[in-house]
Amino acid sequence: MDDFALGVLTNIGLFSFLALSAYLLLVAGEMSFGQQAFFGIGAYAGGMLTALYGWPLPLAALAAMALGGLAQLLVGLPTLRLRGLTFAMATLAAAEMFRILFELFHWRVERGGELAGPDGTQGFRGIRWIFEHGIEPADYLLLVYALLAAVLALLLWMERSRLGAALRGVGLDPELAASVGIDVRRVKLGVAAAAGALAALGGVLFAHHNTYVEPRNFDIMLGVHSLAYALIGGLGTALGPLLGVALDIGLLESTQYFHGYRMIVFGGLVAVLLVFRPRGLLDERMVTWIRQRFS
Amino acid sequence: MLELRSLARHFGGVRAVDGLNLTVQDGQIFGLIGPNGSGKSTTVNVIAGLLPPTAGTILFRGEDIGPLPTHRRLRAGIARTFQNIRLFGQLSVWQNLWVAQNSAEDLARRGFFTRWLGGQSGVRDEIARLLEFSGLAHKQNELAANLAFGEQRRLELARALAARPKLLLLDEPAAGMNSEEVGQLRERILSLRGSGVTILLVEHVMELVMGVTDRIAVLNFGQKIAEGTPAEIQAHPAVRKAYLGGEAA
Repeated sequence: MDDFALGVLTNIGLFSFLALSAYLLLVAGEMSFGQQAFFGIGAYAGGMLTALYGWPLPLAALAAMALGGLAQLLVGLPTLRLRGLTFAMATLAAAEMFRILFELFHWRVERGGELAGPDGTQGFRGIRWIFEHGIEPADYLLLVYALLAAVLALLLWMERSRLGAALRGVGLDPELAASVGIDVRRVKLGVAAAAGALAALGGVLFAHHNTYVEPRNFDIMLGVHSLAYALIGGLGTALGPLLGVALDIGLLESTQYFHGYRMIVFGGLVAVLLVFRPRGLLDERMVTWIRQRFS
Repeated sequence: MLELRSLARHFGGVRAVDGLNLTVQDGQIFGLIGPNGSGKSTTVNVIAGLLPPTAGTILFRGEDIGPLPTHRRLRAGIARTFQNIRLFGQLSVWQNLWVAQNSAEDLARRGFFTRWLGGQSGVRDEIARLLEFSGLAHKQNELAANLAFGEQRRLELARALAARPKLLLLDEPAAGMNSEEVGQLRERILSLRGSGVTILLVEHVMELVMGVTDRIAVLNFGQKIAEGTPAEIQAHPAVRKAYLGGEAA
């Protein structure tokens, strides 16, 4: 496999975590334009723990996930009281706040005779754990996809549980959900924490893939894309957002044919789908149809 | 079972419910009737917790449930159907019943993780019974949004029963039904009598109300204008006036 294909495939894997994170919130009825912030928190926290403090990557990833989950839970406590567009605005504002905090964040530590660590707008370089441990790009690709498969399996299992049905119910009609005895607020806060942790996991993997991150990696366009992935791919199954990522990065960004027209085609696709299939390609109807065909 | 004391709910200057006193005894099927806009649905929404009352007390089994949020009222034993059918359209019929099993008994019987993440084995029989009751067994895997109108009404009733209610609030369950469907609904409601569930039935369709209720209260402009047995209500002059307008005949 050449480096280009490896890079594309790894990117599809990495952004899938972010897309799944936006998807979870969408299923619960909340549109977040701010998932890039928790992706960023994961990238910074995970990178700092391995590059500055010598933690092994798995431990650093777990800690970053906990931090990402906690951060989104804290953002969720006040904002999840808001509905619809107001919530979207609040998440966007929170994410921009985090991006500016990354720009102001200087944490320089001496490592091997040199200063290393986040340096504000100059970014954070030298996140070299996978190179120091002799992990080849192809192996890293496998690692990313193994984790993605594990997350996906967990989500698909959750979606078939009563919790999954309740989560979907909360998103479809929160008032009805409360009327059938579901604690809507608790479900939403739980989803927020899970979404934050998932985005952070993607961020850790992203930072170690690139070895370098900077605040502008985590700007609003990343959040808009992750939201669009879920909306294009569909809200009927956790496979939906993956389809969205594959369509955008695999087809639009990486092929010669669409080169330069990516944003036009992508934006058009989102607009058309929002009109004709508001819950995406793999929506509940499609999933039910497929399930009835093949069971 | 249920006692409303000076219950009021105002919307701005509109007094939708205005000083309502009502007592529903254990096991009763209690009818709540009145012209359009007389405050019946508002009363149901206040009891179920979707609207906070402006004033007054709601006692359920002797306890003030005013401070309880909506989902806790269901767990306390109050389940409902909606005047405009409300179902989780993108969930299957089966799932609509499954997510509604949040009664205190279900909470006590199964732990948190079994309840939310456990399999379907422990609840199959119960849901099969509800599907049988509502004649929807053959549609269990269908999305609720794909059901016909009458089927959706039946699913709503089954969904409310999935919560093993002690008090069932039926908000115009016969709205939009033809007389055959009303007949079936009447049989279903009567079959619940003696199963330990108390029913508050809000309804316009008189053949249903008069046929199933033990007692009826009549609302007009948010206030109770009459209460009694179906026979007493049919003969009551104030009721005729409220429905027909003008002077009582």
